[in-house]
Amino acid sequence: MQREEKQLESSLESVVMKLNEIKSQLVGMLFKIDHDRDSLNWPTFLDNFALLSGQFSAIAKVLSHDKTPPIRNLTVLPLILNPEREEELLRLTEGRVPAFTHDLVPDYLRTKQEPDVEHKLIQLEHKAASLSYDAAQKQAATFNKVITHVLDIVSKAREEWESEAGARGGTGQTSSLTDTHSLVAAVGMGRGLKMIMPGPGAPVGPGMMVAPGGPGRPVGPGPGMPMGPGGQPMGMMGKNPSGIKTNIKAAAAIHPYSR
Amino acid sequence: MSQDWGGTVNTAIDNLTSALRSNIIPNQEYLLQGSVLDSAVEILLHRLRGLCDNVDSGPETFHDHEMCFSIRGNQTQPLLLRVRRALDFPDMPYQLRYIGQPEMEMGVGDKARPTIVRSSIDVACSCTVVEFLTEMGCRMDFEYISRGYMFRKGRMKILVSKIFKMSQGKPSDSGVEPISQSYLVELSILAPGGQDVIGEDMKAFAEQLKPLVQLEKIDYKRLPLSMAP
Repeated sequence: MQREEKQLESSLESVVMKLNEIKSQLVGMLFKIDHDRDSLNWPTFLDNFALLSGQFSAIAKVLSHDKTPPIRNLTVLPLILNPEREEELLRLTEGRVPAFTHDLVPDYLRTKQEPDVEHKLIQLEHKAASLSYDAAQKQAATFNKVITHVLDIVSKAREEWESEAGARGGTGQTSSLTDTHSLVAAVGMGRGLKMIMPGPGAPVGPGMMVAPGGPGRPVGPGPGMPMGPGGQPMGMMGKNPSGIKTNIKAAAAIHPYSR
Repeated sequence: MSQDWGGTVNTAIDNLTSALRSNIIPNQEYLLQGSVLDSAVEILLHRLRGLCDNVDSGPETFHDHEMCFSIRGNQTQPLLLRVRRALDFPDMPYQLRYIGQPEMEMGVGDKARPTIVRSSIDVACSCTVVEFLTEMGCRMDFEYISRGYMFRKGRMKILVSKIFKMSQGKPSDSGVEPISQSYLVELSILAPGGQDVIGEDMKAFAEQLKPLVQLEKIDYKRLPLSMAP
């Protein structure tokens, strides 16, 4: 007996925890709808829904678990009703229930639907009952017809869409990495664009060069430098490697003779 | 009188320096690059027309001639300057542009940033700029013709352009030869530095163009060298 009570307590605890999660999620979503209406987009909204549905299925799992005692078999029995306003209750229910009074309790503790919902349901049931059998059959048939029609349209559209997507995927490549690289290299560094200059008669006369650092550089004479990249056939990355190469050569030249 | 002039210059420089310090000058270019095959360019243009801001007016076309000049100072890296002129509007001012080296982050080799970030300064100038640069000691490294379409989305700029080689320095329409069977696609934003949100925005936009175009940050220095010219 005691064990069952413990189980009940622990399962109730987890259910309450899950319910609170759902509640805060709902509050957050309502807040978003109210305040960030302009910036809210469908994907985030649907994400929210997915989150909620996940939590609902989690709570359903907890309820249907073997170890959870059947809560529906338990009864909540109100011991004291009090028409006075209770601050503690108000705080617990976040301002929804100010007092545990006679007119509120039956609604809150009932195991059936809310009164409004129940009322509506009864109305509908009345309407359904007053319908003749034939008329009901006819309506159901029409309804079925409409539904199958809609289903047809949707599945046809899906088929078309899928085949189209398949065809588009089938066209294959729309871009090439090699082309990207050659274009970027051409625009960025002039690879494949550099002119093969006819030596001294280059369009931009090297004699005009007044670059301050030219002659001061350790490798290569002044006018020789600017012509370097142009003189090379393709001048790939014309600036950096030329300097590096000469450096290596110079070092190699120094070593054997100095020893 | 000369003192007056000096005063004015000083204030201008002071203004510029303070503007630079407070980081309000849009001198950084955030860039993603890719390409699309000639056969698929129509699909891309169609999609961009739907995605971008200038929907009703259609894309802007351009037909530009770009020359890249370099000057070697004391630094090992030559200074690169680009001059661009519109071939379809000869009366428009020329554009002089400085593009810096892509900024690298320490250690991780710029992996952390979603886009290339490089400094970029543009200025309009007259057609004598070529002569001026030559007199300054700049040398023309290479030139090309770029023809294509420009789209805008917010502050993003999307260029879809065909790159042509120049034939003997003459931009004759008949004699130009395309670099490849693809259009170059560039997505860029000019903004002050340190705005990392921009990169995220651009990445999100680039996602929308997949798998048509793969827009990526491409490091010039790590490109395979084995390409035939």
